[in-house]
Amino acid sequence: MDKIPDQVGYLVLTEDGAVLESGGELENDERVAAIVTELVTLSNRVDLVAFSSNDQFKKISITYDDHAFIICISNKKIYVVKRNLPKDLMIEGNTVSV
Amino acid sequence: MEKELDKVIEEVMSTPNVTGCLFADHQGLCLEAKGSAHVDSAGIIVALSEQACKIQPNLKPPTINLESDKNQCLIQRHGTITGAIYKQKT
Repeated sequence: MDKIPDQVGYLVLTEDGAVLESGGELENDERVAAIVTELVTLSNRVDLVAFSSNDQFKKISITYDDHAFIICISNKKIYVVKRNLPKDLMIEGNTVSV
Repeated sequence: MEKELDKVIEEVMSTPNVTGCLFADHQGLCLEAKGSAHVDSAGIIVALSEQACKIQPNLKPPTINLESDKNQCLIQRHGTITGAIYKQKT
């Protein structure tokens, strides 16, 4: 996790939200852990017509003006990374590159 | 008000790769849904944006991007209105 460029904090959680590993700005941040777990649970229920069952979400990004939280699930663990955005990606009004 | 919203929706839907869009109020009630976006998703989309806002409540609402292999869903809150745009990945 330490090798991710521009990473300023990370969390590894179990599916029920228990913190397995943490570091940087997210060290032992149980508040963010609880919010992220709830987000993942909710996102499993966004649907429907647009996203068929064989096209499940792989990644959630939460983008602020100058940093972002990236959430992924692998091997029944939730990985959360807080990254500073490179300056050239920072556009007014927290736009994401699509 | 609906005319203004219709105009915005038309503009969004005419953007390349957009497959659907949805707008909901702060209670999670759907104001309008077009294309692949389903009216029933309004509640969950608002709940997701509220949850994401809790991470850093002192900052302005973030953009949430849900990605799958082929599609993505962008959610952003503006005041009491939450908007979601469904896009196909290029």
